[in-house]
Amino acid sequence: MTLIEEIHSTTPIHRETDAGGLRGLRVRGLHKVLGGRTIIDNLDLTVRDGELVSLLGPSGCGKTTTLRMIAGFLAPDAGSIQVHDREVSDLGAEKRPSAMVFQNYALWPHMTVQNNVGFPLKLRRLGKKEIEQRVDAVLALVNLLHHKNSRPARISGGEQQRVALARALVQEPELLLLDEPLSNLDAKLRVKVREDIREIQQRLGITTLIVTHDQEEAISMSDRIAVMNAGKIEQFSRPAELYSRPETEFVATFIGSLNRIEGALVNGVIVPGDDVVGIRPEDVVFTLHASFDARPAVVERVVPHGHFHEIYLKRDDATLRAFASGLPPAPGDRGHASIQNALTFRQGRLVTTTRVTA
Amino acid sequence: MTMITKRARKSAARLNFSRPLSGLFCVLMVVFILGPLAWLGIRAFAESWTFPNLGPDGWTLRWWSVVLGDETLGRAVQNSLALAALTVLVSACICLPAAYAFARYEFWGRRTFLIGLFALNAFPKMGLYVTIASLFYALNLMSTVLGVLIVHVLGTVVFMTWIPAAAFAAVPRSLEEAARDAGASKLRVFFSVTFPLALPGILVAAVMSFLASFDEAQGSYLIGAPDIMTMPTQMYTLVLNYPNQVAAVFSILLAIPSVALLLAAHKHIVGGTLAEGFQIK
Amino acid sequence: MTLAPTRGSKRRAIATPAVARRPLGFFLALPPIILILLFVGFPIVLAFAFSIGLTGGLNHVIASIGLNVHEAENWWGTPAAYIEVLSNSRILRDLSVTVGVTALSTVTVIFLALGIGLFLKLRGGRIARLLSGLAIIPLFIPVVIASWAIVTFYSGDGFVRSVFAQFGVEAPVWAFTMVAVVIGSVWTSLPFAVLMITSGLQAIPNAMIEAARDAGAGFLRIVVSILIPMAFVPILIAVTFTAIGVVGSFTVPYFTGPNAPNMLGVSMSNYFSAFNQPQQSVVMAFIVFVIASGIAAAYVWANFRSAKDQGKV
Repeated sequence: MTLIEEIHSTTPIHRETDAGGLRGLRVRGLHKVLGGRTIIDNLDLTVRDGELVSLLGPSGCGKTTTLRMIAGFLAPDAGSIQVHDREVSDLGAEKRPSAMVFQNYALWPHMTVQNNVGFPLKLRRLGKKEIEQRVDAVLALVNLLHHKNSRPARISGGEQQRVALARALVQEPELLLLDEPLSNLDAKLRVKVREDIREIQQRLGITTLIVTHDQEEAISMSDRIAVMNAGKIEQFSRPAELYSRPETEFVATFIGSLNRIEGALVNGVIVPGDDVVGIRPEDVVFTLHASFDARPAVVERVVPHGHFHEIYLKRDDATLRAFASGLPPAPGDRGHASIQNALTFRQGRLVTTTRVTA
Repeated sequence: MTMITKRARKSAARLNFSRPLSGLFCVLMVVFILGPLAWLGIRAFAESWTFPNLGPDGWTLRWWSVVLGDETLGRAVQNSLALAALTVLVSACICLPAAYAFARYEFWGRRTFLIGLFALNAFPKMGLYVTIASLFYALNLMSTVLGVLIVHVLGTVVFMTWIPAAAFAAVPRSLEEAARDAGASKLRVFFSVTFPLALPGILVAAVMSFLASFDEAQGSYLIGAPDIMTMPTQMYTLVLNYPNQVAAVFSILLAIPSVALLLAAHKHIVGGTLAEGFQIK
Repeated sequence: MTLAPTRGSKRRAIATPAVARRPLGFFLALPPIILILLFVGFPIVLAFAFSIGLTGGLNHVIASIGLNVHEAENWWGTPAAYIEVLSNSRILRDLSVTVGVTALSTVTVIFLALGIGLFLKLRGGRIARLLSGLAIIPLFIPVVIASWAIVTFYSGDGFVRSVFAQFGVEAPVWAFTMVAVVIGSVWTSLPFAVLMITSGLQAIPNAMIEAARDAGAGFLRIVVSILIPMAFVPILIAVTFTAIGVVGSFTVPYFTGPNAPNMLGVSMSNYFSAFNQPQQSVVMAFIVFVIASGIAAAYVWANFRSAKDQGKV
């Protein structure tokens, strides 16, 4: 826990208000046990005002449970949830200042797009005219004015997604929650929509928490990412740092690709040991010619990935995967492989990062 | 975390339902639904009963021997069971192919047919039997087994067509196609893939048809009485001519097959198989 | 597939889409339709002819047995029987009682079924499941027994009066009154309505409710604006089947109701058997049929609407 706090203070990308209060979201000691199993284990999380944070983790890690407790659909067993310095954990979802975009959008099929978006305002007893103005404004923001009178079933998945976003934004929430917002879209659309969401979020400066299992999505959208595993936050930091300096072995293997080898790295060679060495495939360099730190290697397998390929290299100390672009070698080719960077983990935690310099 | 805040949080996370009100609602529903059955059921073992006591004056099994020893009542039981079984069989033969057709084929008049089946339900039963009776007079079907059987089958057509049709329609086509791809013939696909998957729906339809036939009183009485008596029609005369306790015993006997079927098919009926069948697709 | 490629592809070439085989589907669907045309459609046409005084052909037997038969002098018939029935003040009272009982029973049934369905959907838990299971029980009890049990329960020496008598209160006798008919109709109609409405409500994704809560909606708002509109078709089906079932019912009012005025189902039977006036009885059947058809039209419309909403039409 102190570790996470430390990381907060060492990554000052957003202004924090005066020492006592914090705008945005502050979760402290959140705990949930379901059916005798601890789902969320004493979790702390801070999202600063205007920041976009992703909760990233494999399925079953508790990220959705956390989101549902913050939204008010699930009661925590213990802990506090503060939005803009106001304790909300005893409020029902309908009274919380947060708005949520649901995974399957949860658009009411019997209402038109306009009525779906206007429903939250209708509940706030606003005048007909004001509702219409605000609905039009938010529909214009998500570029859907032309579908104002369509039923949800008649518009595409991407458009439904934008309606769901509009319905959340129209409430002018202090906190925007998105539950796997892109998981039901096809790959091309996903890239476009995530850029749209990020653009709107930054324009409105709205504090946002996204739950996702897709690392690419999290890395491309977020100011900071909280990687969750087994009900705990493993690491909470900026995307780039998450990749280059993973605090735990779990984060290292979950984010990006990793050669995981038991042993230790001594002078560019893996020797037997109790630690775990993690090497990113792009840090393994394969050349046909010998160099001072490279060791002989045989190409075992080549897997093309489009603009790059993955090469399985057999060295005398270990088998390594490398990413390379350009003309691929053929299986059976002989050459030399060197390790440029490596992470060493002891009992799951990062102890050293090794940089082999030429 | 104290208990009070914990509870407050629980109720905040759910929607509020007033606890005492829903409790009262439950108790009233139990009395409303089970009360009459229990009140009648006790009578089957009761000596006599003095108002306003909440229990009988004494207990006896006398009424059971009266009912079980009565030959006409025994015959009515036999008639009912045989007739219900026969009705389900005939109805299945007539309706199941049609149910499959409604689910899997698009043909001329399909929608009209579906709505036509429903029209059967819209005409009041007693009115229908009155009109059927006037036809049966002309066809010499009054007081015949065939006449009563026709009336019973008519009462099951909707169940036997709609519910299995929904069940057939719910079988994913990809499963059938996979079986055909594996080399199964059309008939083989039907019997080893479609039929087993639709079986719960067909069973519910059969149970509902059996009950409908077993329950049918008005038509059987009008067409069959006094020559062909079933348990429900016997009930008409029974309650008027015998002491209350005999009717109670007879009621329990009459309810046994139904309750047995209830226990057998409960899961599927509550599971939405029945409700699914009543939406024209 | 890879093991026997020729066989697989051959089979697939033979397979024709099922939709193309129109005549087969038509002929498979024919038997129940013929059965209904023969024993429902035909008798109804025949009965209609009889009701307007056309007493020839197959109507000859019944016309000669029955009393007080109005015969038409021409081929297009006479409304005499309808005029007689609709000017009979006793039958008109029966008619208004029928409509009243139908409306009251239907409203009560839907109200109870919605209550149970909402309880199950929003609260859940063992009690809710028990309650919905309980409401299904009448489906398995023959109507004859149910009617008799209800008469005994609410009769002069029945349970309700016995309980009140323990406290020295004189409770009303409901057996053989229209109250008992409504109670009996509700009792027997409840299971179908509960099945329809609970399954309709259960089919609504919980996220729809959560989205409404997130938007700030309370309990009543969610029920009125989200749940009822989304379960509209199953609710309407429950309404039509309940109303049609009650409007034409015979057994419940026959056992539990008063001698007069009673529901048209009972009068119909009395006129047919006891008074031997089949034509008047058939006329009443058509009056009930007209009412039921009006209700049925709502059902067909609702199904059509739902198909349209789902983009199928």
